[in-house]
Amino acid sequence: MNGARLTVRDISVQYPGVLALDGVSLEFVPGEIHAIVGENGAGKSTLMKVLSGSIRPTRGTVLLDGVAHVFAKPSHALAAGIAMVHQELNLVATLSVAENVLLGRECTRWFGVAIDRAAQATRARELLAMLGADLDLDCAAGELTIAQAQFVEIAKCLASDARVLILDEPTAVLGEREAARLLARLRLLRDEGRTVIFISHHLDEVVAVADRVSVLRDGRLVQSFARVGDGTLRRVDAPAEAPADAPADEGALAGAMVGRTLGSIYPEKTAAASESELVLELIKFGAVGRSHDISLSVRAGEIVGLAGLVGSGRTETAEAMLGLRKRAGELRLCGKARVFSNPRTAMDEGVAYVSEDRKGRGLHVTLSSIVNMTLPSLAAFTRWGGVRIDGDQERAVTDVWINEFAIRCARPDLPISSLSGGNQQKFALARWMQTRPKVLIMDEPTRGVDVGAKGEIYRIIAQLAREGVACIIISSELPELIGVAHRVLVIHEGSLAGEVSAAQLREAKCEERIVRLASGLSAQASLDLKANDSKEHVLKENRA
Amino acid sequence: MTPSSATESNRGANRASHHETLVQRGARFLERWGVIVAFVLLFAVSAFKQGGDFLNVENFRNLLNSNAAVGILAVGMTLVIISAGIDLSVGSIVVLAAALGTTAMNALLAAEWSEGSAVMLGGATTIVAGMLAGSLNGGLIVFGRIAPFIATLGGLAAFRSMALAIAAAGEIRSQSDTLFATIGRGGIPLFGLVNNADKPLTLSYSTVVFFCVAVIAQWFLSRSRFGRQLVAVGANETAARYAGVPIQWVRFRVYAIMGALAGVAGLVQSSRMNSVSTAQLGLGSELDAIAAVVIGGTSLRGGFGRVWGTVVGVLILGMITNILTISGVSPYWQGAVKGGVIVLAVLVQRGSRE
Repeated sequence: MNGARLTVRDISVQYPGVLALDGVSLEFVPGEIHAIVGENGAGKSTLMKVLSGSIRPTRGTVLLDGVAHVFAKPSHALAAGIAMVHQELNLVATLSVAENVLLGRECTRWFGVAIDRAAQATRARELLAMLGADLDLDCAAGELTIAQAQFVEIAKCLASDARVLILDEPTAVLGEREAARLLARLRLLRDEGRTVIFISHHLDEVVAVADRVSVLRDGRLVQSFARVGDGTLRRVDAPAEAPADAPADEGALAGAMVGRTLGSIYPEKTAAASESELVLELIKFGAVGRSHDISLSVRAGEIVGLAGLVGSGRTETAEAMLGLRKRAGELRLCGKARVFSNPRTAMDEGVAYVSEDRKGRGLHVTLSSIVNMTLPSLAAFTRWGGVRIDGDQERAVTDVWINEFAIRCARPDLPISSLSGGNQQKFALARWMQTRPKVLIMDEPTRGVDVGAKGEIYRIIAQLAREGVACIIISSELPELIGVAHRVLVIHEGSLAGEVSAAQLREAKCEERIVRLASGLSAQASLDLKANDSKEHVLKENRA
Repeated sequence: MTPSSATESNRGANRASHHETLVQRGARFLERWGVIVAFVLLFAVSAFKQGGDFLNVENFRNLLNSNAAVGILAVGMTLVIISAGIDLSVGSIVVLAAALGTTAMNALLAAEWSEGSAVMLGGATTIVAGMLAGSLNGGLIVFGRIAPFIATLGGLAAFRSMALAIAAAGEIRSQSDTLFATIGRGGIPLFGLVNNADKPLTLSYSTVVFFCVAVIAQWFLSRSRFGRQLVAVGANETAARYAGVPIQWVRFRVYAIMGALAGVAGLVQSSRMNSVSTAQLGLGSELDAIAAVVIGGTSLRGGFGRVWGTVVGVLILGMITNILTISGVSPYWQGAVKGGVIVLAVLVQRGSRE
């Protein structure tokens, strides 16, 4: 531990009214993947902002190679070899892959006047090759998938010769397969002697790849784990009474995060409703160009999961149902064929959609919690023939949902961006519940939400189903689908690859079955045909 | 990068963060109330420097009266800018609507209609013409999917050109004897107050219209469903669509309302002059209106705004002109001062948001 590259010593950050970090000391060593975990609001992002120079700590020191540094802005940190990949990717959509990778570090000739395109291509290819990413260098960044864009973003950091690489929830927007690839590449970067720091809510990933794990809770460092000789994670400062032979798993990390041991975060499933009314039917439905021939039906009180890789067409199919995309095929609501031209007409007939993109499409982050809460059902809050809004009623109904969903929100009149991701998501669900939907389509309902709030959201979803709402959950987190849905439909490249029934969901191998279907393999094929870079594979390889 | 000792960087960070909170607090206060602070300062300075010339009831009356038309435009512009749009064509709508209205009124008078009905129908024509022009803008933006800047830039050129064509670039004189001019020049007598010439002082109708429009717009913005949807569309159009807001209808309506208000401004201006100069009327007033909105603290990015701020912004702009004129500053230099104030207002707003 003597060769620490980056050290923070007794760092505190005081925001108005909140002590975001409280005397945190950590060391980041070359050649190590260091995961930072904690619930939303535990101080992870603040710590990353201190390291990358976005904010200056109220107290404490940052040492780089043993020398104290003050990073007044991100460019100072970058110059010192600390690069950060933000959750929101910052690529210039109209520039090519090569131009993005070398943005600000262009290869030039004629004394820096002209860009040397050949040298650019060579250098960009070199950098992308370090990540094992084979991308078309001339492709505009705007046309990349999120996973590809992430590789470009990391290559950008490598171009700046970053010795310390900070990634903020890099796998949050990736499907299982892309996430597995990314994690494998992070291990390559580590093996080159770089320091990799990453934040993740996916504890299985953390257990699989991290060499060291620091758990933050309420701004304090509460526990540290390190990988020991036999490849398992162990508590660094294990108390004497703890059994020394128990390697730390996801449960141990989650327990440290919330300060208690977690039981199952999934509520008990209600009996799958087989006799209730058929609410939603899709017949050879699809979003033109993105999905096709999807037939499914959802009964009242049933929770149907939609699995598939990112980009397989799940979200697009949902958007086509709402009239946000051109559609093909037929949609029936309670037995009658329906065509919705926009989300409003869908809402009027009882079909609601909670977007995967909470900041961009789901909520108005700059507006207050009350405004966000009542926007879809605003007509119900009006007087004088739909002209005047009754502010008292708005406030009262918002308070009802705050109680109902246990939303931590002291001031609903302040911008909703002041709430944690989990509480924002609860509002995103509550606002649609207020419209009394028959069908609720939830796209990645727990993205960017911490473990504690996840459990509460699952409980809410189960409760909605009990009340007779037909629920569709689109998710990239398989344990979530298996834990919550009555049955799971798997989409591969825009069409239905198969269905995993309620009985099959109870089998031990159901996760593998879904992964195989999502990757376009048949569910019954023998195990050795398994997709090479499926997540399971990478995880097992690493543990070995 | 300057490596420094641990203690030094520690102290530096401490000082910086304490200092920052004070600055941040001040910046937040300015963002919220800066326009009022500016108004009070400006008022105090002029009262101190000019004394009686400025602190004169008739001076205020003229200040309000001469800025009422721009004020009405600025109130509409506030709504447009909150929806994350812009309307560059308002000055041209003013002249086209006024030209059509005055022509219609003159035609009715020539056809021996009574003065009362001719003036009324002429006025209605002005407002309806403005609304139609605004609806055309809205249609191009919503259904033609043309960026507001481009669509209304087209309107800026086209509407004035139509007005010029109607009168061969000349003047359309009102044929109404007194009634039409009364709209622009008359007012409600203020009890017991007289002007320098010992005539009863009045609160002009145009000022009353300006304030009524402002009060109604502020109410709609903060209390009505339309206002709420306008803010939602301006803050994030995609999120508003996903939440079931009829974004096209909302955006169309805001341009139609803007057009109607430009018609009202046209009526106020043409009746004050008792004629329409097609080359001059409303020229450049879109910029004055946008400036007032910006000074008033409405975000050009949309999604946030306040009508009362715009009203104060109009008064600030008017007062600057007033002070410069009284102090004998050349009109050529007045634009430079106004420009400086606009840039300053934007700087204050931005400084605190980052």
